[in-house]
Amino acid sequence: MSGYSSLTDAELVRRCRADDPDAWNELVERYSRYVYAIAVRGFRMSDEDAEDVFQDVFTRIYTRLDSLRDDSALRPWIAQLTRRRCLDAIAAKRDVPVEDVTEEGSSDLSEVEEAYEVREALSGLSDACQDILDRFFTRDQSYKTIADELEIPSGTIASRIARCLSRLRNELEAKN
Amino acid sequence: MDSDYLELRLGDLLDRLSADGLAPGGGSAAALTVAFSARLVTMVARCSVGWDEAAGVCAQANAIGERAVELAHTDGHVWEDALAALRDAGSGGVEDPKRDFALERKLEAAAAAPLEIASLGADAASLAALAAEHGDATYRADAAAAAALAAGGASAAAHLVRVNLGIRNADPRLGRALASEQAAQDVAARLLEPRR
Repeated sequence: MSGYSSLTDAELVRRCRADDPDAWNELVERYSRYVYAIAVRGFRMSDEDAEDVFQDVFTRIYTRLDSLRDDSALRPWIAQLTRRRCLDAIAAKRDVPVEDVTEEGSSDLSEVEEAYEVREALSGLSDACQDILDRFFTRDQSYKTIADELEIPSGTIASRIARCLSRLRNELEAKN
Repeated sequence: MDSDYLELRLGDLLDRLSADGLAPGGGSAAALTVAFSARLVTMVARCSVGWDEAAGVCAQANAIGERAVELAHTDGHVWEDALAALRDAGSGGVEDPKRDFALERKLEAAAAAPLEIASLGADAASLAALAAEHGDATYRADAAAAAALAAGGASAAAHLVRVNLGIRNADPRLGRALASEQAAQDVAARLLEPRR
């Protein structure tokens, strides 16, 4: 984990404003999947169109970061930039005014937000918890596979996962 | 075959299972049995107020149930493909290495689905054991029923790995399927034993 990954958004923004290239790299790393997910899942854009939105959004972030009033509000600001850019792109493609484009997939947008919050909360857990949750829920590994690879008794895996989920819930509640 | 099983009424799903078609068949039924087992565990955990790990067990049981339903679809598809390839190979007469290779690949894919179903059965049984031990005693019989269903699904899936796909005894996949079956059966036997 680099030192930058533990920075808060507000600290990251301050370092970006000071033209710290590592801070910019961290900002892109932290928010690239988020921007992409809004475009693809929230607005059902193709990979190609999402890539255009991605480039444009990060260019705008780079050139307009000074206009961000509250440094801790980086994520909602990026979300707003991305949504606007998606609506512009869809309007241009359909050759209609942007006002005529309705926001589709709003439930997916809230899912993207939720997924991002879970990802943030996950980073507050121990490496062991992050690993076991990733193995079971993301990589679909069986209890036996997890037990064999981590060299822990198979019968304890489900309980370990349950305890890690409980800690994750605490993290999420603390952040909200 | 392509309609989502979860979108079907139970009666329609059962009709489809008994219809004179290819899928769903034994593998899909085994997967859905594991899904039933997992959902029963969810129910027991939800009803077990005061059990610290209940929410975490619910999340895992739901994940296992969802994977099992996906596998019910996958098994149907890959089995239909394999069966078509087997028929094609049987009608050709002349040796065709390219066709034989394609057939082998399809049989491999058809073996992978029941193998995963058996593994999910073992996991569902493992969760059922937790629910029986720590959940509300009122629902212990449901946890035992969940383990029995999981064991049934795992056994059926292991059988499909062994017989339908012609896997040799030395094949490590068969060993894994049988180990999953055994693990699920051990849990079920323990939970179904009358308590004194």
